Amino acid sequence: MDESFHDLEAELNALRPQRPSPLLRDRVGSELDGAAATGSPRYTSATNLGSWKWLGWRSASVAAAIALVAVISWMNFQANSVPDSVVPPARLTRNDPVKPVTTGPSVDHDRYQPVAATNVLYDLKDEGRVYVDGDLPARRLRYRYLDTYTWKNPRTNASLKWSVPRDEIRVLPASLN
Amino acid sequence: MESAHEHVTWQNWFEAHGPKLLLCARQWTRSLADAEDVVQEAFVRYWRHQRQLPGDPQALLVTSIRRAAVDLARRESRRAVREEKSGGGLEDGGIIFETRPGDDAERRREIEAALRRLPAEQREVLVLKIWNELTFEQIAEALGIPLNTAASRYRYALAALRKELKPVCHG
Repeated sequence: MDESFHDLEAELNALRPQRPSPLLRDRVGSELDGAAATGSPRYTSATNLGSWKWLGWRSASVAAAIALVAVISWMNFQANSVPDSVVPPARLTRNDPVKPVTTGPSVDHDRYQPVAATNVLYDLKDEGRVYVDGDLPARRLRYRYLDTYTWKNPRTNASLKWSVPRDEIRVLPASLN
Repeated sequence: MESAHEHVTWQNWFEAHGPKLLLCARQWTRSLADAEDVVQEAFVRYWRHQRQLPGDPQALLVTSIRRAAVDLARRESRRAVREEKSGGGLEDGGIIFETRPGDDAERRREIEAALRRLPAEQREVLVLKIWNELTFEQIAEALGIPLNTAASRYRYALAALRKELKPVCHG
């Protein structure tokens, strides 16, 4: 670093940043001691049950799931209907032996098949002490995942990917003694 | 920087490092209240879940604070038209540095004013280097910029401050 800046750096170094307010210290203390009710930040995350935003997430997830099922059903229907339209009925004669209709391997491959499912844990929050059945102490942990499912059509190589956030709440028995 | 394991309680650790973290948060948030929220979220997460991780805790916390500030800004931007440059926490006119007995209050105010006038990208590097004691490598990683960019922004910031501030007369 430039030698000529040494004095300035030393002067800046001597300054001490302003301390956090005692209120912040209290809030951190109450959160770390488990009394989250008074110590949580003024905002809440989008997937907290206390926030109305979770409704939006879940609605979007359900809508995405329905759309996905509809797309897959439509594609399967298209795939199954292809052979009928390709075979020209005019080539049949009275002498032709009647063969049973079979589903060829090409039709099987023209379907979306699930190929991958992953879930990534991106946040883990200890939500503090709760009581189960009124008197059994426990801790509530919230695990937040992103689940991703992938389907692939081996014939066209097209793929569909569906990602959805998921909260998992675990209540673990705890001894407070 | 000492590890968090060396301190028995979070209070000791927070007492020692809270001011630096708050200064860091103030440059990425709109107000002091937002900065304190962000520090609370990052610090509680660190103390509960990340304390045992290897590496420099200050660098980890700075990254965590930055993410929390970005998340908060996104949430806020849904509510109100915002994206006035971050840095509001520092630009709101509040005190940045502690007043200590015997110090030159006028000089301190001069430095605070000069800091506020720095471009945000230079100021964040300066704050992380001087008061959070991160290396250029850690700064580059925390801000997602090349190492050389971090170093040159630091030099530009010092040059700009030197230009703005009158030299101190000793004696």
